[in-house]
Amino acid sequence: MNRIISAIILVAMFAGANIAIAQDNLSPQRKQAIDSLALEKVRDLSKYISIIGDKSTPWSDAQRVIERAVELFMENSEMGVSRKNSPDVSYYKVREYFDRLMQLNYNKVKIDWYKIQYVSDLVRQPDGTYVGVITIYQRFQGYNKENGLVYEDTTKKDITVYVKRKETQIGGRLIGFWDVMLGDIRVKETK
Amino acid sequence: MRNLIKIFLFLLPVTALAQGSIGSLTGDESVFYAQTKQVNQFFLRFNGEENVTGKRLYAGDPGFRDLKARKKYLNILFDNSSQTINPDVKFVFIEDALNKKNPAELDFYALGWFAEATCSFTYKKEKVNLILYLKIIRQKEGYKWVISNVYFDRFESWFTHLNDTANVKYFIHPMSHELDFMNLHKAFSEPENLDYYFEQNYTPDMTGLFVMEMKNGNLNFVSVNNLKFHVFQVPGWYFELSYFNRNENNSGWLISNLLRLSEKEKKALMGNYTHIN
Repeated sequence: MNRIISAIILVAMFAGANIAIAQDNLSPQRKQAIDSLALEKVRDLSKYISIIGDKSTPWSDAQRVIERAVELFMENSEMGVSRKNSPDVSYYKVREYFDRLMQLNYNKVKIDWYKIQYVSDLVRQPDGTYVGVITIYQRFQGYNKENGLVYEDTTKKDITVYVKRKETQIGGRLIGFWDVMLGDIRVKETK
Repeated sequence: MRNLIKIFLFLLPVTALAQGSIGSLTGDESVFYAQTKQVNQFFLRFNGEENVTGKRLYAGDPGFRDLKARKKYLNILFDNSSQTINPDVKFVFIEDALNKKNPAELDFYALGWFAEATCSFTYKKEKVNLILYLKIIRQKEGYKWVISNVYFDRFESWFTHLNDTANVKYFIHPMSHELDFMNLHKAFSEPENLDYYFEQNYTPDMTGLFVMEMKNGNLNFVSVNNLKFHVFQVPGWYFELSYFNRNENNSGWLISNLLRLSEKEKKALMGNYTHIN
């Protein structure tokens, strides 16, 4: 259902902007329209991460949100996480990453997102799918009862975005739309 | 269908908002704005295809590839803490790269740059470092990165005798053919000296060895620990691009080394790492 709504939104946006349809080359206007769809997914992800990490979220709700979060991603997507003072990168499947986030051993967790974001150009892969990267920044704070704030970090998240041209039938009519899925995420501690 | 249209109309303000930012955290974000966050952004900043507010500029937009703006940008695209980049050399590079007649632009899709990924692997259960060189190539209507070369000191150590011209001990004598090369078994009885029996100008195929060791299960990938790029696209110059993870404006992807190189030297270097001639 979400995808159908996204499709209609994008079709309407294109119609409004009177953009010529050229499937292979992305005009700046089309790129902007796709960027906003991709940012919408990233916005959903950031909300889900905040809810999953929140200690006041009941376990069953967190599980439901993890399911929604996982649906944003292509199959086999991973998180590559590194600390500032270590060159090693740990790789987690996205579900495992969310499970670990839910189980963090703090009494209270505060996850905030900075306003800054950066959206790369979209580059076409050999299979025709476009791929781009959205960079966002997150602040994480972990509290415990005895000492208050015990852990804090800011991480840069480089999120892979896949954009694919698809078609769906609505009311007997074939409508083309751009499907956006998230892929691997590189998480780097910045300070 | 009507319901879907209603939903669409209801969602319109949301889509408009989607153009806005992800977060709401108010704090000093100036570092993040100034930081060259992606290699993509480095290319755009270098080319003057992004304005000071971070807006992407396309051909025809005011300020697109504006030389004055590029000069300002290029200055801040260097690692300011670098001891290896001479300020005079940097000045000449900027003047050269941004000359009015034929200013240089970087092209993501073109040859003339490659990536160097320092990775950790386990080799027969021991943790080791190995360098992969990657270049971007076109396939069908799209692009992909491919591994163009590999450096692993263990592989190198197997070929230390290749250039030993003084050796008069390990060789297959010139009449061996009359004995159906029956003496080969002697040559192969000491594998540590095997490389004496090859042509001096033989170039070992490190990529082939890498594939073999991976497929045999002796080499196992752990992670990419460091990444940099070597860029040869500015005529007469080479520069290295590295990521500086620090809490200051001069951070992110920045030029970490700069050298004046002739086109012949560039060709030799590129050929070495990417097999592009």
